[in-house]
Amino acid sequence: MNNFKIFLSSAVFSFRAQFDWLNPVMWLTMKFVLSVSQMAFFVFVGIFANAPIQFIAVGNALQSVSWNTVFSVINITGHDKWDGTLPLVLATPANRLPLFIGRAMIHVLDGLISAAISFFFAAVLFGVNFGQTNPLALIVAVVLTAFTMAGFGLLIGGFCFFFRNPMVFANIFTFTLLIFCGVNFPVSSLPLAIQPVSYIFPLTYGLSAARSAIGDVTIAQPGVDLIQIAPTLAQQLAVGLAAMLIGYLLFRSFENNARKTGKMEAV
Amino acid sequence: MPEPLRVIYSAFRMAMLHWIADPQWIIPNIIAPFVFTTVALTLFKDSTGPFGLYAVLGGGMMGMWGNTIYSSGFAIEFEKWQGTLEEVIAAPSKLIHVITGRAISNAFFGLTNMIAILIIAVLGFRVSLGIADPLMFAVSLLLTLLSVSALGLIFASAFVLSRSAQALTNGLETPLYIVSGSMFPIALLPFWIHPAAYILGPTWGIDAIRLATSADYVSQSFWSGMSPAMAIFLDLTILILITLTYVLTATILFKIVEKRARITGTMVQA
Amino acid sequence: MVGSSRNTDSGKAIVAEHLCKVFNTTKGILRRTKTQVVAVKDVSFEVDYGELFGVVGPNGAGKTTTIKMLTTMLIPTSGKATVLGYDCEKDVTKVRERIGIVLGGERGLYTRVSAVDNLNYFADLYGVPTSIRDKRVKELLDFMGLADRAHDRVETFSKGMKQRLHLARGLVNDPDIIFLDEPTVGLDPEISIETRHMIKELVEKGKTILLTTHYMFEADELCKRVAIIRNGEIVALDTPSGLKKYVMDTSVVEVEGYGITEKEVARFKEIPDVVSVSAELGEDKQVLKLQTPKGSEIIAEVQQILKNSRIYDIKIKEPTLEDAYLRLIES
Repeated sequence: MNNFKIFLSSAVFSFRAQFDWLNPVMWLTMKFVLSVSQMAFFVFVGIFANAPIQFIAVGNALQSVSWNTVFSVINITGHDKWDGTLPLVLATPANRLPLFIGRAMIHVLDGLISAAISFFFAAVLFGVNFGQTNPLALIVAVVLTAFTMAGFGLLIGGFCFFFRNPMVFANIFTFTLLIFCGVNFPVSSLPLAIQPVSYIFPLTYGLSAARSAIGDVTIAQPGVDLIQIAPTLAQQLAVGLAAMLIGYLLFRSFENNARKTGKMEAV
Repeated sequence: MPEPLRVIYSAFRMAMLHWIADPQWIIPNIIAPFVFTTVALTLFKDSTGPFGLYAVLGGGMMGMWGNTIYSSGFAIEFEKWQGTLEEVIAAPSKLIHVITGRAISNAFFGLTNMIAILIIAVLGFRVSLGIADPLMFAVSLLLTLLSVSALGLIFASAFVLSRSAQALTNGLETPLYIVSGSMFPIALLPFWIHPAAYILGPTWGIDAIRLATSADYVSQSFWSGMSPAMAIFLDLTILILITLTYVLTATILFKIVEKRARITGTMVQA
Repeated sequence: MVGSSRNTDSGKAIVAEHLCKVFNTTKGILRRTKTQVVAVKDVSFEVDYGELFGVVGPNGAGKTTTIKMLTTMLIPTSGKATVLGYDCEKDVTKVRERIGIVLGGERGLYTRVSAVDNLNYFADLYGVPTSIRDKRVKELLDFMGLADRAHDRVETFSKGMKQRLHLARGLVNDPDIIFLDEPTVGLDPEISIETRHMIKELVEKGKTILLTTHYMFEADELCKRVAIIRNGEIVALDTPSGLKKYVMDTSVVEVEGYGITEKEVARFKEIPDVVSVSAELGEDKQVLKLQTPKGSEIIAEVQQILKNSRIYDIKIKEPTLEDAYLRLIES
C-alpha cells in the first residue's frame, strides 16, 4: 500500500511542478493551439507535395501525445535538479520504482487528452474519415502509445540525470519522432540504412496499429480489430517496458554515482 | 548620446561573442525548423517542381523565426539573467538600439538552419539550387532579415510588458511557420488566414527571395503576370513599409518599457 | 575636465531635494490587494565637487533607492534630483553620459566574455570616442591590476577581480561623478582595503564620489561627510567627527560574556542612564554594548544584572561612528 501512496504522490507532485505557473485557461488554450498548428503545418505541406492527407493528419494526431509523455517527462529531471529538491527526494527511504514511474503517469493522462483533441481536429478540420474505424482497437493503440512513450521519456530522462540541461534533449527527441516514426510519411520513405532506428520508438508501432484500426474509407478498407493489431501492440509494449527499465536503471546508477562522488546538482 | 549604429554594431558583436562562447544554445531554437524542413524535404522528394527552393529557403526562414521568437523575445530577460540589465539601462545608449543589435544577430544566426538544410538537401536529396539574380537575392535576404529583427524587437518589449506574452511563445512558433508561407504558398491556406500572412513583412520578403532565386517562380508569386524585376520591387517596397511600422511600434513599446522600469523599478509585469 | 561638462556653475555636483519614492505593489493571486511601500520618504542633501560623500543606513533604509533616483534609474514620486546641474528625470542622457555607477558585487559583467570585450562594449554604450577607447580600456585594466588577464573570460576571475572589473566598468566614460553602492560588501578584508584605497585615489584625481555602505568604519575612513538614513529619511548629516559628537557625552561599555539572554538585555534597556543597548547574542558568546554617560560607574549594575551569567571581559571605549550611528538609528 505504501508503494501505491508513493506512486500517487509522486504523480501529483510532478503535475503541480509542471503546471503551477500555468493557469487552466492558458493550459487549455495552449493544448488546442499546439494540437492544431503542427498538424496544420504538415497537412498544408502535404497538400503542396501531393502527399496523402489522412496519413499526415492521423500521424500528427497520435504524435501529439509526445509533447506530454516525452517532452514533459524528460523535463521532470530538470525541475528537480534546478530546484535543488533532488537530493532531498533521494534522501527519503521511498521505494525508487513507484517514485520514478509515478512522475510520468500524470503526463500520460495529459497526453491522452492531447490525443483526443488532436483526433477531433483531424476529423473536423482536415476531413479524416473515421467511418470504418474499430473504436476499441484504436483506443487501446492510443492508450498504449501514451504509456509506452512515457517509458521512452523516462529512458531519455534517466540519461539526462547526468547532464546539465535536459531541455535540449527533450526538444531533440520530441521533434525527431516526426522524422523516424512514420508520422508524416511511411518509415519506408527513409533511407534503408536508417529504417531500423525507427523501431526503437514505441510510437512507430503505435502508429502502425492505429492506422490499421482506422482503416481507409477511400479504398474501402475497414479498420481491423484488436486481435489483429495485438502482435504489433505486444512489440510496442516490450519496447516501452524495456525503455522504462533502462531509464530506471540509469536513475539508480545516477543516484549511486551521486552518493559516491557527492555531486548531484546540475552536473 | 552615443551613435545608434555604433551601439547596434557593438551589441551585435557582443551577441556574436556569446554565440562563439556557447554555440550549442542555438540548437533548441532551430530543432523545430530543422526537423520540419527535413520532413518537408522528404515529402517533396517524389514531387516534381521547385520544391528544393521551398524547402531550403523556407528552412532558412523558419530558422530565423525560431531563433527570433526565443532569443529576441528573451533578449531583455537575457540581460537580467546575466545580471547586466541595470548597467545596460544606466548607460546613455538607448535600450532599443542595444536590443536591435541583438535581434539582428538572432535573425542572422537563425540562418544557420538554412545552411544545415542546404547541406542535407544537396547531399541527401540531390536538390540543385542555382540563384538567378545573386544581387537581388542578397538584398532581399538582408531586408527580410531586418524585418524579422524588427519583429524581434516587438517580441522583446512585449515579453517584458506582459507575462502572458512570454507564456505564449510555445504556441507562437508553428502558427508563424504556417502563416508566413515559408514552406508552401499562402494560396493553399483558407482565405481568412491570408490577412494575417500579408501583414507579416517576411511573407513578402520570402516571395522576393524566391523570385530572385528562380525566374520561373513568378507565376506562383504574389505578382503573377509581371516581370520578375517588378515583382521583386513591389515585394521589397511592401516589405520596407511594413518593417518601418514594426520599428515605429517597437519604438513606442520600448518607451513604455523604459518608463515603466523607471517608475516601478522592475521590468516585468507581475 | 570637470568644469567643462557641467550645466551650471552653481558649485554643487549633486542636489537631492525632498526626494520621495513610493512603490505600488500588488499581492495575492485571486484577490489582488494593492499596497504601497514607501522606500524613500524625504531625502535632501547636497554634495560638493570633489567630495567623497557617504550615505549609511540599515538594510531597507532607502540607500539604493536614493542612488537609483540620483542616477536616473528611478523617477522620484516627488522631489527633484539634480546631478551636474542636469535634471535626473528630464535630462536623462546628459546625466548618464557623465556619471559612473557601480551597483555592487560581481554582477554587471558578461561572464562568458573577456574583460577587454566587456569594457569595450560598455565604452561603446557610453559613447567613448573610438579614437581613445582602446587606450582608455587599457589604462583602466592597468589601474585595476587586471592587465595580464585582460583577454580571459570573466567567469575565470576571482570575486575580487570581478569587483575591480566592475569598478573599471564604472569608470569607462571617465565620469565626473561616481556612485558606489556598497562597493565592499561580501569582499575579503584584503580586497576591501584595496578597494577603499582605489576610491581614495579616485577622489585625489578630482572625482566626486557618493558612496553607500553599512560599514561605519568605512564611512569614517573615507567620507568627508556622512548622511545617516533610516526608514527613508535622513536622521543626521555631518562630518564623521561631527556625528561622533552626538555620542560624546557617553562612553561605550562593551561586555563580553556567556549565558546572556534577551531577558537581561531588556533589563539593561530599562536602566535610565543607559542611552542605548546593542546586543550580539551568538551561540558561544554574547557581546553587549551599552552607551551611557555613567561610564565605569555602571559596572556594578552590569555585574548585578548578569549575576547568573559568566562575564569574560568588560571594556570601556570612546564612542565610534558606529556607536553614533546606532544611537541615531534607534532614537
